[in-house]
Amino acid sequence: MPIEGLKIIGESINDSVPSTNKLYKENNIEGIKDLAKLQEEKGAAYIDVNVGSRTPEFMAQMVKEVQSVTSKPLSIDSPDFNTVKAGLEAYDLEKAGGKIPVLNSISPLRTEMFDLLKTYNFIPILMVSERNINGKSSPNHTVEATFETAKYMHAELKKYADLPNDQIIFDVGIAPIASDMEGLTKRTVESIKRINQAPKFKGVHMSLGLSNFTVMLPSKCKDGTPVKSSLESAFLTLTVKNGLDMVIGSVKRKYRILDDSHPAMQCLNDVLQKDGFEILMRVQSFYS
Amino acid sequence: MARNEELFNAVSGGKMDLVPELVQKELDAGAKPDEILQDSMIAAMREIGERFENEEAYVPEMLLAARAMQGGLSVLEPALAASGHEALGKVAIGTVKGDLHDIGKNLVSTMLSGAGYSVEDLGINCEVDKFAEAANKGAKVILCSALLTTTMPYMKEVIDHLKENNKDVKVIVGGAPVSQEFADSINADGYGEDANMAVKIVDKLYKAG
Repeated sequence: MPIEGLKIIGESINDSVPSTNKLYKENNIEGIKDLAKLQEEKGAAYIDVNVGSRTPEFMAQMVKEVQSVTSKPLSIDSPDFNTVKAGLEAYDLEKAGGKIPVLNSISPLRTEMFDLLKTYNFIPILMVSERNINGKSSPNHTVEATFETAKYMHAELKKYADLPNDQIIFDVGIAPIASDMEGLTKRTVESIKRINQAPKFKGVHMSLGLSNFTVMLPSKCKDGTPVKSSLESAFLTLTVKNGLDMVIGSVKRKYRILDDSHPAMQCLNDVLQKDGFEILMRVQSFYS
Repeated sequence: MARNEELFNAVSGGKMDLVPELVQKELDAGAKPDEILQDSMIAAMREIGERFENEEAYVPEMLLAARAMQGGLSVLEPALAASGHEALGKVAIGTVKGDLHDIGKNLVSTMLSGAGYSVEDLGINCEVDKFAEAANKGAKVILCSALLTTTMPYMKEVIDHLKENNKDVKVIVGGAPVSQEFADSINADGYGEDANMAVKIVDKLYKAG
């Protein structure tokens, strides 16, 4: 059973996915459209559209092509202003049943994107996993730094448009647990809680790219049980109750709420108590 | 000297608690520092690299092995220095401008150190100047990492600059969106699909140079 209240932004149409990159290179638009249909069928709430560094015109074309086969709203995914603008311009609100698109995502270095809110209606994803230091991006490694960036981005957004909180998504970022020697998993879990508890952020949505969490791990434990979907489900079990209500992820994964006695839950609960290499050893003992 | 199986297994198995004393035991028994390093420790790291490439070992195993190796080196280094040991060669690695991803870059850096190279880690968000400076300081191979399709094109700028100003330096590229085809299109000297392949390519370039 899917997790109640959790919406999935289907991640497949992304240039950095090798099989999708191949479709783009072969100009296999039907293949791209099939990805959109498949993700809708499997329950995606939004269909992400990322064309890599291709032109704004191509983004516009892809938005139209994808919307020709799905009634789900889209997530326009690019760090480039003109590419995003072309995607929003091409977006057909009626085809999406009146649902406005998501913009994935706006980093603290790209706040000029907010200017697009004067012309277009969309739900911005505000990236709060990194901050702007004198024009350079720097990763946030603590809960406080993440929370400060959330406040900063929220204030910047308000300068351009007075969006209600339920039309704002924070992406707190998530790091691979396979190399988490700095306790970044804990930072993510705690940051979600921190944002959820702040009165000024009441009603905001939170999202992150969940597949990143389990990259570089084996697909199966020694006993044949799955590694990735279990750890991702464990993560969701700990965070959905604290306000995480969206993930950019794979519709193929069977996300579910786990019982505390599940080995993946025990692993994740232990990880949150540990530091440095102890974290890696705990993860290793989960899958070996 | 043949490799010491116990030490080899302790390093490849990431047994941080065992490696330092096993190294000390070898030294006490009169083994040559350079041979301990080459035949048991570097051999173990290369073995882990192979297992990683074959999907028999994963990132946690690699990182734990590297830590065990470091633990052994802290015991071995004074003896190595006294024996006049030199690293296999000097290389530098960094993630390109606009890109903050460091996991892949760190893994490659770790495996290169484990394989016996002297590695200068330039960090993330590196502009051309940073790579050029490392080349000027003697790095013979420069490794550029990028995880975003939007930062990948910057690798070409790095290569163009280095080819013009540091003719002898070789440049290898890598990162999730990077392919051999892309590497060829920007005139890179090599492409590392994963951390172990990157080590093999550095080996090849060093042998050729």
